[in-house]
Amino acid sequence: MATSLQRAGLRLTHLSRSALISTKYSSQADALVESRTGEIGVVAGIPEEHLRRRVVIYSPARVATQQGAGKVGKWKINFLSTQKWENPLMGWTSTGDPYANVGESALTFNSEEDAKAFAERHGWQYEVKKRHTPLLKPKAYADNFKWKGPPMQES
Amino acid sequence: MGLSSLTSRAMIRRILHTTTTTRSHNFSLIRSIVSTPELNNTASAAAEPTPDPPAPPPRPPVNNARVHFPNPEDAIEVFVDGYAVKIPKGFTVLQACEVAGVDIPRFCYHSRLSIAGNCRMCLVEVEKSPKPVASCAMPALPGMKIKTDTPIAKKAREGVMEFLLMNHPLDCPICDQGGECDLQDQSMAFGSDRGRFTETKRAVVDKNLGPLVKTVMTRCIQCTRCVRFASEVAGTEDLGMLGRGSGEEIGTYVEKLMTSELSGNVIDICPVGALTSKPFAFKARNWELKPTESIDVTDAVGSNIRIDSRGPEVMRIIPRLNEDVNEEWISDKTRFCYDGLKRQRLNDPMIRGSDGRFKAVSWRDALDVIAEVMHKVKPEEIVGVAGKLSDAESMMALKDFMNKMGSNNVWCEGNGGQPQADLRSGYLLNTGIADLENADVFLLIGTQPRVEATMVNARIRKAVRANHAKVGYIGPAAEFNYDHEHLGTGPQTLQELAKGSHSFFSALKNAKKPAIVVGAGLFEREDKDAILSIVETIAKSANVIRPDWNGLNVLLLNAAQAAALDLGLVPESDKSIESAKFLYLMGADDINLDKVPSDAFVVYQGHHGDQSVYRANVILPASAFSEKEGTYANTEGRTQQTLPAVPTVGDARDDWKIIRALSETAGISLPYDSLIDIRERMRTVAPNLLSMEEREPATYSTLIKPEVKKEIDPAPFKAAIENFYMTDAITRASKIMAQCSSQLLKK
Repeated sequence: MATSLQRAGLRLTHLSRSALISTKYSSQADALVESRTGEIGVVAGIPEEHLRRRVVIYSPARVATQQGAGKVGKWKINFLSTQKWENPLMGWTSTGDPYANVGESALTFNSEEDAKAFAERHGWQYEVKKRHTPLLKPKAYADNFKWKGPPMQES
Repeated sequence: MGLSSLTSRAMIRRILHTTTTTRSHNFSLIRSIVSTPELNNTASAAAEPTPDPPAPPPRPPVNNARVHFPNPEDAIEVFVDGYAVKIPKGFTVLQACEVAGVDIPRFCYHSRLSIAGNCRMCLVEVEKSPKPVASCAMPALPGMKIKTDTPIAKKAREGVMEFLLMNHPLDCPICDQGGECDLQDQSMAFGSDRGRFTETKRAVVDKNLGPLVKTVMTRCIQCTRCVRFASEVAGTEDLGMLGRGSGEEIGTYVEKLMTSELSGNVIDICPVGALTSKPFAFKARNWELKPTESIDVTDAVGSNIRIDSRGPEVMRIIPRLNEDVNEEWISDKTRFCYDGLKRQRLNDPMIRGSDGRFKAVSWRDALDVIAEVMHKVKPEEIVGVAGKLSDAESMMALKDFMNKMGSNNVWCEGNGGQPQADLRSGYLLNTGIADLENADVFLLIGTQPRVEATMVNARIRKAVRANHAKVGYIGPAAEFNYDHEHLGTGPQTLQELAKGSHSFFSALKNAKKPAIVVGAGLFEREDKDAILSIVETIAKSANVIRPDWNGLNVLLLNAAQAAALDLGLVPESDKSIESAKFLYLMGADDINLDKVPSDAFVVYQGHHGDQSVYRANVILPASAFSEKEGTYANTEGRTQQTLPAVPTVGDARDDWKIIRALSETAGISLPYDSLIDIRERMRTVAPNLLSMEEREPATYSTLIKPEVKKEIDPAPFKAAIENFYMTDAITRASKIMAQCSSQLLKK
């Protein structure tokens, strides 16, 4: 335990010396707590190659096949993970990426800022996709019976 | 069982019911069919004083919708569940509820179709209204107090649901809609666990709507969304309602296939499993699928799509909302081309041996061979052609690589011999796809938007329907799904229009928002500069370009075209193919390779074994749009990005990576190692390709345009696309698209 902590600490100093040095004070009341980008991942002992990932933060669109909006408005992280293969005998799918199933099924954020903060704490480079929202325009049942001009010609 | 026994059973239940409700609900032995039994005892419900519920905290609108206020003074205030919302005049009650963040259950109502009001699922209680009202069809009035969550509304919906489930089969376990079914979900909230209907359920004969849409008409709940979609959006009056009462059916009147290029959308809008995807039938369950939000590349519109994959396989493609591009629809080609991604793929790098057969080799060997040949030929004999599906990153890499080799003969197919890339307004849809629906006069020159850009065509149709826009068309006889005037077939008509002698010219001149759309098929003509200049003359004399409205548009054909021109993929000479000794095809399958000298060395880099592979000496396998991150600019200049959904097949690599590796083997390493670096390079060439999801409008200027001296060829315009379903390597490899072209195209 002690050695692993030591290792984590060493890696932390190493990381902070490298590119990821932007320090951020949390806006909470406890100003003594200081969080560095990528710190969480380092302390958690996540392998280094996963601390330099590129992820895409997006808000999933409403599924076109359904009208319900219960799941709309959440934010997700796409880990751009495609390391997958299929077992030739049974057709089972395997992946070489520990984050392959994290983005779709495990992580949901209420706001863009939350997702960004999460990615920052893990030291991921992120890109945010714009959220598309529908535009409500007035429409009326009476439009069905409105005079729409002369009928279409036979073309 | 007869009717009498049914009524008597119901009566017994009612008697039992009233006796139990007078005591306590907890002790009731017979459960009620409705979840609001207190309503059965109307007297007690009325007597009970209803305390005012505390105002709930404000909620964001459903789907985070934006509200369009045509006139800010016309805003009215209504109360939804006690919470006040400001809405524009003319909104329906359902829309008011959506603004208040209350999702009203619905089946027949669809925000992009006209209001039918026949499913009655959206019933809500409105104060001072004697009955529950159908919120989708009721206009919201100032001060209206709408209650969406009261026992009356709930009971009303439960009644509706019971009627809907009466004739709906219980086949959810074998239904493809299962898991993403509106009826399934809403019956969880409003359905009873038993039914009072004891007759046999009705059965309806399935209809054959063609190779794309599977029908199980017994599941149909007669919401008529598909009928409204077909007549309003798709513009083909193929579907209709037959019969009355319980004999009511959706059908095509006579045995007939649905011949719309938007027919796949009825699968999405069907709230039950009556219309499902035929190619996707029984292939996967929707909860097994991993969604990836991406961009379509089969045409130049760049429709927003969601690629659903299971493991390493693309299972289906469905649309994704983007009000500015495709709203919520996609074309059939976009939706069903995915099986082409699994067939005829190139797996390994291959070299053609002396016997004319391809032999799989390692990447290193293949790249070594190419680099060796490249250094043997003269720089001006090296030619690079990008394909119609290429992303901006790889085109940037290709251009840089060719330039470093000393050649400047690099272009993108579909852009013609000498493309005009200096002025961005000369090759973009300057009005913008969304703004086209405000136009009132269209002049289509050598373009058939219905097959070239289906989603643009849907906008033009919308304008024709809503504003009675006039459409004039110059080109070969073509099918339109809206009223149009066929003005002529060739450039003569254009000359008449330029002179102002044509009758359509006055319509164009008097229009409030005229739009001229020039097809990119004209780029292949020898006299295209002359034609474009005469179009500009028309635009100028008809005052099409104004400070607030740019109505001069070019409708591109391919996904790569706009980005290629933005990046300046313009060949030095238009005869470079004839003198080429080394030809690098980056997914270019539609260029004419007959003129390539027989001793030329042809490298084909791409994902499909398509037309150009027959001439290639070396094949380098690349990844398709569903497997890579790539930037695309659509026909209106909007930059969008694909994201990888599935792994590549075999040993394939991303296009830009192959060129980067080849440059290193050739000894002239390109200075970028990652997508980020290559985008930084793109920033120096075309910064608009980095502003993601944004549309960079082109500034229009005729002052700096050189004068054209070429003569106009009187030959009539040709159709740019012969087969809508097969336009690129992916769609040509697709089995579904082959079925469509054999069954749906008119011969």
